[in-house]
Amino acid sequence: MEGVRYYDVRHVTGQVTHIDIDNSVVESAGTSFFNNAVIRVLRTTGWGVLQIDNYTPCHGKEFDSLLRSACRLAGITQGNVVLGDVPHGILPVPFMKEDPRDVDIEEKSALLSGIEQAATHPLVVNRRANYIEKIENVHFTDSSENEYSYEMCRSGFNVMAVASRNGNVQMGYEREHSIHGFNLRHQQGLGKQAADIAVALLDAGAAKGGKMRAVLDPELAGVFAHEAVGHASEGDLVQEGNSVLKGKTGQKIGNENLTIIDDPGIPEFGFDPVDAEGVAVLRTEIIKKGVINAYLHNRETLSSVGNGVAGHARAMPGEPPLVRMSNTFIEAGDATEDEIFEECRNGIFLKGSRGGQVDPGRGIFQFNAEYGYLIENGVCTKMVRDVSLSGEILTTLHGIALCGNKRAMSPGYCGKGGQSVPVSDGAPHILLNDAVVGGSGVD
Amino acid sequence: MAVAWIDQLVLEAQKKVDEVEVFFVKGISVSAELKQKKVNLAVTSKDCGLGIRTIHNGKIGSSGTNDPDQWRECLNAAIASGKLATPQIWEGLPASLPLSQTPLSYDASLEVEPAVVIDLIENMLAGAAEHPAEVTAGSASLSSATVTLANSNGVRYTNQHTGISLSLEAIHNQSTGYEFDHSSFMDKMDPVAVGERATFFAMESDNGKDIATGEYDILLSPLAYGELLGNVFIPALSGRNVHAGRSRLGQSLGEAVIDPRITMYDDPMIKKANGSVRWDAEGTPTRRVDFIRDGILETFAYDLKTAYRFGKSSTGNAIRGGFGGLPSIGHHNFVVDGERNEIADERVVYAHNVVGAHTANPMSGEFSVELSNPFWMEGGEYETPIRSAMLSGNVFDMHKSIAGLSKESRALGSLILPSIKITKQRIIGK
Repeated sequence: MEGVRYYDVRHVTGQVTHIDIDNSVVESAGTSFFNNAVIRVLRTTGWGVLQIDNYTPCHGKEFDSLLRSACRLAGITQGNVVLGDVPHGILPVPFMKEDPRDVDIEEKSALLSGIEQAATHPLVVNRRANYIEKIENVHFTDSSENEYSYEMCRSGFNVMAVASRNGNVQMGYEREHSIHGFNLRHQQGLGKQAADIAVALLDAGAAKGGKMRAVLDPELAGVFAHEAVGHASEGDLVQEGNSVLKGKTGQKIGNENLTIIDDPGIPEFGFDPVDAEGVAVLRTEIIKKGVINAYLHNRETLSSVGNGVAGHARAMPGEPPLVRMSNTFIEAGDATEDEIFEECRNGIFLKGSRGGQVDPGRGIFQFNAEYGYLIENGVCTKMVRDVSLSGEILTTLHGIALCGNKRAMSPGYCGKGGQSVPVSDGAPHILLNDAVVGGSGVD
Repeated sequence: MAVAWIDQLVLEAQKKVDEVEVFFVKGISVSAELKQKKVNLAVTSKDCGLGIRTIHNGKIGSSGTNDPDQWRECLNAAIASGKLATPQIWEGLPASLPLSQTPLSYDASLEVEPAVVIDLIENMLAGAAEHPAEVTAGSASLSSATVTLANSNGVRYTNQHTGISLSLEAIHNQSTGYEFDHSSFMDKMDPVAVGERATFFAMESDNGKDIATGEYDILLSPLAYGELLGNVFIPALSGRNVHAGRSRLGQSLGEAVIDPRITMYDDPMIKKANGSVRWDAEGTPTRRVDFIRDGILETFAYDLKTAYRFGKSSTGNAIRGGFGGLPSIGHHNFVVDGERNEIADERVVYAHNVVGAHTANPMSGEFSVELSNPFWMEGGEYETPIRSAMLSGNVFDMHKSIAGLSKESRALGSLILPSIKITKQRIIGK
């Protein structure tokens, strides 16, 4: 259409199946359906965007009329959006060992119930297990005749146990989510683990806050990479001037042993075969050997900010794409676990994640462990609960003294701009000097 | 005033199941986003969603779709879903009552048009210009939606709802400021103030001074207080969490659980409040629910499902987050009230917001959060900014050491909260 510099259409249809079991009661189980589309247009200035529920793909006059509506919206924008040149292409979606759609919901419900029952313990007052399976059929086209279609299925479960004794209430929480197919079989061990942790936490003390050495397990160290580095490297925040990493390329931010990557192309939970703007997905080394190396981009921020690659645009069905992380991790180093605890000597070992948050402009982050242990003379001793860590992006990374030699990834969801997308975070065990640990305990 | 296909759906369902409930939402919205001081993106959205709940022999099923033309498939999916559910005691969906159909949170004069969005943004930027901090991002949005609730017991209710949302982010050196506002009514919005507060906090927080680890008296703004309350305290008032053993308040009915000067209630009839509504998501007429009166825990919140199962009555607290799934327990306008006084006269640590409240332990109430825009405050003045401070404590216990509530309250979505002063809280400095 005349005057249209660029358009794209991202149409996602699919279904969500869920099962919720609470203390042996199947609270709800079933399937819902969705159909959402986003049409984006560029004329001379910024984006005009239509979000349409229940979209029917159309051509000719009907489609032109949608483009005209989007153009009218673009007409009220002022910024001059320029799109960077990008490689196109799509990766194959990893093969599923067992397609969840081949398992009927009665069997899924029975397997989930087994996991929930495995969390039974005399001190556990509540067990809850959820299964979620989301199938997305994505169809993308743009004005340059790029066209992609793919189907992604993500499925997995959470199990929680709540233990209670004399008014002290604690919880244990385990989860497993995957792009590799149905994963509810042989998982009772995680139900039991949730119960064991909840019960053990009844005897754990509150952590004493302050500055100390901390060892982070791979899951929590992954969240650390996500919160402390990942968000601040997102090109839209850099473009807006809302990141402490802006203008810091080439600056040393951590030790030689620290490399942090985001890679949407690896077969982990944050995998995208192609990004939400039809751009080929590529690996970005955000921090390379302790030096700020590259940002995560979409086509707009690539052209505006530079330094890095596009392919990091992600979107919930029916929402405009944003620059997002996918699979974010600290590369493995060469330290053994024993060496890490030995080097720590006295400090705290933090395990699991209850999530985190960052103010990227101020450069302050916070995240919370599920539980931890005191480290005394290189050995884990007393269990502690409700431990969090906070820090400043530009100084804290220097405190990463050792990186372990084995990396593990954990699945999760990340929120930004009201959109939640699947991600994975990971790392080896790391030793962090001068960690600012929060906890309400006192001497 | 339901549409014809909804009546048809209800009739069809009644041939197969004991009861059916239909929730149908249709709406439009217009929004614009700022990148620094320029509008970078403008959006219109057309939303449509159908949720169906069926009840048969005490088994509850549900499904949802964006496509109302597919209501037959959606109904079949809901019935299939019900077959899996554990049966429970069920005493029926609400009957139709002659409730007023005049909406409570609807601004009939609101025009959901791009020009109105642009006007709001210009006013917000004018406010932001009062302090020399840089605007990084912001947004304005307008929405209007019609919700229809129908059931096989004769209910055919419709409600209209409007919303106006504004937000602005600013930075000065390495100091950030954020402010937002939301209302159903245009005349309750103050875009100039949203802009001014965002750049004010970014400016004033620059050059913060270190604070030593120790115990301090803290003044939490409504925003900071709402984060802790919403993530930890309010879920503990849900009947479902109570009966499931997931609430620390579960065994404390009739007991003093917080400072005797404080009252917490849900009032769905407050004039021009964001969450005001005459019936809840299941069609139960709403009413004021006093959870905590003068520090004493009086009741928990119930929807029909939880009430029937545990021999209670619905308190009209069923809500829907969207059209899919089942209704859940929530609130309409949650108010914290009590004796008000000047709480910023004596020297305190003030926090405008907190980072990481969602990582708190919702069972025990333990939390550790970074403070956003912390200041030393005295005589109501923002005196010295604090560079970085982590606040650790327990949301339940902190309600026992409340030193006072501010004279003014602020509406934050469905929360209406004062600032609160709490004594002897632990801060971990740098």
